Amino acid sequence: MKRLIIFAFCWLACSAWGEAEVQLNKVEVATDLPTLARGAETVMTVCNGCHSLKYIHFRELAKLGVEKDKVDGWRGSNPMGTAIASQMPADAAAASFGKAPPDLSLMAKAREGEANYIYSYLLGYYTAPDGTTGNHYYPPTKMPDVLAVAGVTDPAQLAELNKKAREVTSFLVWAADPHAQERKSLGLYVLGYLLVFTTMMYFLKGRIWATLEKV
Amino acid sequence: MASRIIGWIDQRFPLTHIVKHELTDYPTPRNLSYWWNFGFLAGFVLVLQIATGIFLAMYYKPDVNMAFDSVQHIMRDVNYGWLLRYIHSTGASAFFVVIYVHMARTLYYASYHKPRELMWWTGQVLMLMIMATAFMGYLLPWGQMSYWGAQVITNLFGVTPFMGDKIVMWLRGDFSVGDATLTRFFSLHYLIPFLIFAVVGIHLVALHTVKSSNPSGISLADKDNIPFHPYFTIKDLFGLGVYLIIFCTFVFFFPGTFIEAANNIPANPLMTPPHIEPEWYFLPFYAILRSIPDMLGGVVAMGLSVVIFAILPFADRTNIPGGARHRPVYRAVFFVFIADVFLLGYVGSQPPSGALVPIGQVATLIYFATFFLLPPTSKLEERWMRARGLSPQLMALFDQRPPREKMSHKGGAV
Repeated sequence: MKRLIIFAFCWLACSAWGEAEVQLNKVEVATDLPTLARGAETVMTVCNGCHSLKYIHFRELAKLGVEKDKVDGWRGSNPMGTAIASQMPADAAAASFGKAPPDLSLMAKAREGEANYIYSYLLGYYTAPDGTTGNHYYPPTKMPDVLAVAGVTDPAQLAELNKKAREVTSFLVWAADPHAQERKSLGLYVLGYLLVFTTMMYFLKGRIWATLEKV
Repeated sequence: MASRIIGWIDQRFPLTHIVKHELTDYPTPRNLSYWWNFGFLAGFVLVLQIATGIFLAMYYKPDVNMAFDSVQHIMRDVNYGWLLRYIHSTGASAFFVVIYVHMARTLYYASYHKPRELMWWTGQVLMLMIMATAFMGYLLPWGQMSYWGAQVITNLFGVTPFMGDKIVMWLRGDFSVGDATLTRFFSLHYLIPFLIFAVVGIHLVALHTVKSSNPSGISLADKDNIPFHPYFTIKDLFGLGVYLIIFCTFVFFFPGTFIEAANNIPANPLMTPPHIEPEWYFLPFYAILRSIPDMLGGVVAMGLSVVIFAILPFADRTNIPGGARHRPVYRAVFFVFIADVFLLGYVGSQPPSGALVPIGQVATLIYFATFFLLPPTSKLEERWMRARGLSPQLMALFDQRPPREKMSHKGGAV
C-alpha cells in the first residue's frame, strides 16, 4: 500500500514535470499606482464576480487610487475595512463551475512561474477546432475566457488585451505582497548600512591584527 | 563605583574570571582561517531565529482553521510582521547553510579527531535537533507543502516493524496530519530551540576544554595562541557583516526563494500537490531514501546517512594531522563526497524518472562507501605517504606534538 502511495506521488510528480515544460510568456510587472488601480478595477469588475480577495480590504483599493465612488459601489453597505468577498457564494460557484474558484489574494505567489504564469494564463485561451475554448497553460481550467482572448487576431485589440492582462497581473502581484515596495526601499538602506559597517570592520580588523608580531 | 560593584559580584560569582578565561584572554590559534567563523555565525543565527520566533508566536495561531490566515495577518497587518517572518523563514535556510559549512570545515581538516570527539558528537546532536525543529516549523504556515511534507515524512515511521501504524498515529496525534499534529508541532517547535541553546552550551564547554582546532591539525605552542579578544571578536564581527549582507539581500530582495509556490495555497487534505519535495536542506537525504527500492531499507538508509558522521573519529584511522590539508587521498575523497552530496541534492529535487534513478543509486553508494572505506583507505594512505617520505613541513608538525602522540620518523607502527 505504501509503495503504491509513493508510486502515485512519483507518477503525479512526473506528470507535473511534463506540464512544467510549457514556456510561459514573460511580463514586466508594473508597480506604479495608476496601473495598479486600473488592474484593481478590472479585477473587481471581472474576476470578483466569482473570486474573492479575502486578504485585501476595500480601504486598500481606495489607497491605491481607485476612485472613491467606484469603491463605494463595490462595497455597497459594507464598511471600508471589509475583506473583499466574491460576489457569487462559493457553493453556487462550485455548482456552476464544478469547483470553488480560488481566492486571488495570494495567486501571484501560489503558482510556479508566479506573475508570468498569471499573465500567460489570462492570455492563453484559444478556440479549438470543435468550437470549445481551451487554455494552453492550464488545460483543466474551469474558468471561462473572461478577457475574451480566444479568436482575437486584430493587432490593436490584442495590444489592448495584453495591456489589460499586464494590469491585472501587476495588481495581483501587489495584492500577494503589499509591502514589497516598502521592503525593497528599506532593504537598500539596510544593505547600505551593512556595507559601511563591514568595510569599517575590515579595516579595523587589519589595524588590530597589525599589532601582532609577525611569525 | 563600577569596580566596587564588580568586586562585590566577584566575591560571590566568578564574573571577572569567566570573562577573562572564556572571552578576553581565551587562547585561540592565530592561524585560524575564515572557515572558523561559522561556529559563531551558527550561534548568531540561532539567537536571531529564537528572537524572531518569539515575536512571530505572539501573532501566530496554531489552529488548522486559523494558521494560514494568521501568517497572512503577520505578513500584511502586523507592523514589520513581513520583516520578522521573512527573517525567520530565510533564517531557517541560512541556519543550514552555516552548519553545513561548519561541518564541511570539520570534515576537511578532520577536526573530529582526538581530543575533539565530543565536539563532533554534540555537534551531531545539534544538527539532529535543528533538523527536527526545521521540519516541525515548516508545518506551521499550514500551506500545501507544509501539510503534505509532514504527511509523507511522518508516514515514513510506519515502516517500524510490528507497531508502525501506532507510531505514526502517536506522532500525529490523529489518523492523519491535523489539528492535533499542528498544535504539538508548534509546542515542540517552540521548545526544542531552547534545548538547542543548552546543548550549544555543552558544545562550548567542550570547546573551551579542548580549545579550537586549527588548519595545521596539531595543538599549537602557546606562542602561536592569541587572546580571543580583540583579535577574534573583530574577525567574527567582520565575518558577521559579510554574512548579513548576503542574508539581508535574500530577506529584502528575494524572500520568496525559500518558500515553495505550493505553500502559498492553504493546506488541503483532499488535494495532493503535483510534486512533493522537501526543503533544499533535506534533499540529499531524501534522494537516499528514494534510491533504495525497499521502503524500510530506504528509511533505514536515510536515517543512517544523517547519523553516520558520528563514526568518523573511529573510522578515520590515520596518524597524520591536518586532514585534507596534508593528506592527498583524504582531500580527493572529501571533494568527491561534497560533489556527491550536491548531486544527491539535485536528484532529490527532481521527480525520480529515467537516468536519475540509477544516478541517485550510484550517488547513494558513493555516499556510504566514503564512510565504510575510510578505515582501510586512511591506513593505506598513511603507509603510502610514509613510504614516499613526509615533507619537512609535516615532519616539523610531528616534532611539535606532545611525546605520546609523536610517531617514529622512520615509519612503521606507532
